[in-house]
Amino acid sequence: MLKSIYYVLNENFTNLYRIFCISRYELLADMRDSKFGLFWNFASPAIQVITYWLVFGVGMNRNGYDGVAYLPWVIVGFSAWWYLQPCITQGCSAVFSKKDVITKMKFPISILPATVCAKEFFNHLCMMAITIVVLLLYGYRPNVYWLNLIYYAFCAFMFVEALSLTTSVLTMMWRDVKKLVVSLIRMILYLSPVLWPAAFKNYPFMTFVMKLNPVYYIVTGYRDAVFFNKSFLRHPAMGLYFWIVILVLFVIGSSLMYHFKKKMIDMI
Amino acid sequence: MDKKIEYAVEMNHISKIYALKQKEKKKKKEYFYALKDISFQVEKGDVIGILGTNGSGKSTLSLILAGISDHDGGEMVVNGEQALISINTGLNQQLTGEENINVKGALLGLSKKRIAQIKEGVIEFAELGDFLYQPVKKYSSGMKSRLGFSISLALNPDIFIVDEALSVGDKGFAQKCLNRMMQLRDEKNKTIFFISHSLPQVRSFCKKGMWIEGGKLIEFGDIDEVCDHYSEYVDHYNSLSEKEKKKVRDEKFNERLIKGEIKKGFWEHIFR
Repeated sequence: MLKSIYYVLNENFTNLYRIFCISRYELLADMRDSKFGLFWNFASPAIQVITYWLVFGVGMNRNGYDGVAYLPWVIVGFSAWWYLQPCITQGCSAVFSKKDVITKMKFPISILPATVCAKEFFNHLCMMAITIVVLLLYGYRPNVYWLNLIYYAFCAFMFVEALSLTTSVLTMMWRDVKKLVVSLIRMILYLSPVLWPAAFKNYPFMTFVMKLNPVYYIVTGYRDAVFFNKSFLRHPAMGLYFWIVILVLFVIGSSLMYHFKKKMIDMI
Repeated sequence: MDKKIEYAVEMNHISKIYALKQKEKKKKKEYFYALKDISFQVEKGDVIGILGTNGSGKSTLSLILAGISDHDGGEMVVNGEQALISINTGLNQQLTGEENINVKGALLGLSKKRIAQIKEGVIEFAELGDFLYQPVKKYSSGMKSRLGFSISLALNPDIFIVDEALSVGDKGFAQKCLNRMMQLRDEKNKTIFFISHSLPQVRSFCKKGMWIEGGKLIEFGDIDEVCDHYSEYVDHYNSLSEKEKKKVRDEKFNERLIKGEIKKGFWEHIFR
C-alpha cells in the first residue's frame, strides 16, 4: 500500500512540467477551436450568473439564507460546484480519453487525473474572478478571511484528484462507471448545499447525513470565507473527517493505479 | 569465453495471453497465446529486424519490449531506457507545428530545456519552413509524419523500438528516417528493434533478424539467413491454394489456443 502511494506521488511530482504542459495545451486547443478563445472562459460562467440573477433575483425574489441575499449566496456555491462537477465527470475518462497515447508510448498514467484537474482549475479561476465582481457589486469588501478560499480551493483540488484517480481506473475496467457517475452527479448537486442549505428542519439525522458528503465541506467553506468571516480552523471535526475521506480515496486510487498500470492497455 | 557480454535485453520464456470472447455468453472464456515461450538475448548495439506475417505477435512483442504492456509469464531483463517510436500519436490537430513540438515533447517527458534544444533540429528535419505557425490539421500527411518522427527521436533512449513506423509516408520520408537511424546506430551505438514488412529495408539496415510466426520464435540469427528463410516461407505459403491456406491458418490458431482453465490471481478474478 505504501509502495503504491509512493509510486503515484513520485510519478506526479517528477512530472510536474509534463502535467502543466499537457493541461495548458489542452486548454489552448479548446480555445483555438473558437474565434474568441479565452473570452468564452469568462463569458460562459458570466452568462450562467446572469441567468440565475434573472430567475432567482428578479423573477422569484427568493429570500436569502443567514442574512445573505440569495443571488450572491448561490453564486459562491456554484463557483465551487462548477469546478467539482466537470472534474468529476471528466476525471472518469481521464485515462480512457488518452488511449491513443498510452498504447503508443511509455507514459506515466497516474498523472492523467491531475492534468484534468489542473486544466479545469484554470476555468475555476475565471469563475472566481466573475464571482468576486458580483460580490463587489453587492457591497462585500475583501478582507483577510477571503484568503481561506485558497485553502478551500486546495481542498477541492485534492478531492477531485483523489476521486478521479479511483474513477479513472474503474472506468477502464467497466465503462459503465462513467455513465453511473454522470447520472449520479445530478443527484449529488441536490444533496449538497449548492442550491439550498441542505438542512432538514425536522430530521436532524438527515442533516447529519448531508454533512458526510465531502462536497458539503468545500461549498460551505467557500461561503464561510466570503460571507461569515470564519477561518477554516473553526471546523476542526469537519476538516478532519474531510481529510480522512480524501486519504482513503487517495489510497484506494493509488493502489488501483499501481496494480493496473501495465494492464490498462489490455482493457481498452 | 571469459569475456562477459552485457545484454541490452534478455527474454526468458516470455508469454502473453489474451482472452477470447465466446459467441454464446454462457460458454466459458477461451484463452489464446499472443506470444508463447519467447527467449532471446540481445547485445548492446545490436540492430534487430523483426519479421513475421500479420497477426503473428510482432506488435505485442514491441509493446512488451517497450515496457508498455505486461507479460503473463517468463522473465525479461532490460538494461537501459527503452522507447517506442510512434509517429502520429500526441500531435494535436488544432495547435501549430511549433506548439506541437512542445506538446509531444512534454508527453514524451522532455524537460523545457531539452525541448528548446531540439526545436531547431526538428523544424529542419520536418522541412516545416513557413508552415511552422500553421495548425497541424493543415499539414500534408508526410509533413505530419516527419514532425512526429523527429520529435520522437529526441528522446535519446538506449533502446529504440520502431514498429512499422516507416511504412507511412513516401519513399523519400522512409529513406530520410532510415538515414537518421543509421546515424544513431553507427555513432551512438544504440540498440534498435526494427519491425517492418519491407525486406529490402530490413536487409540493408539490420544486423540480426528475428522471425516470429504464430506467437513463437522460429529463428533468431544473421539477418540474411533469416530473411531468406522468411521469404521462402512466404513464397511457399502464397503458392498454396485457398483451401490449404485456411488449413495452415487453422492449425496455427489451434496451437495457440489454451485448453482448460488458467490460474488467475485474486484481482483478475474480480475484475474480469
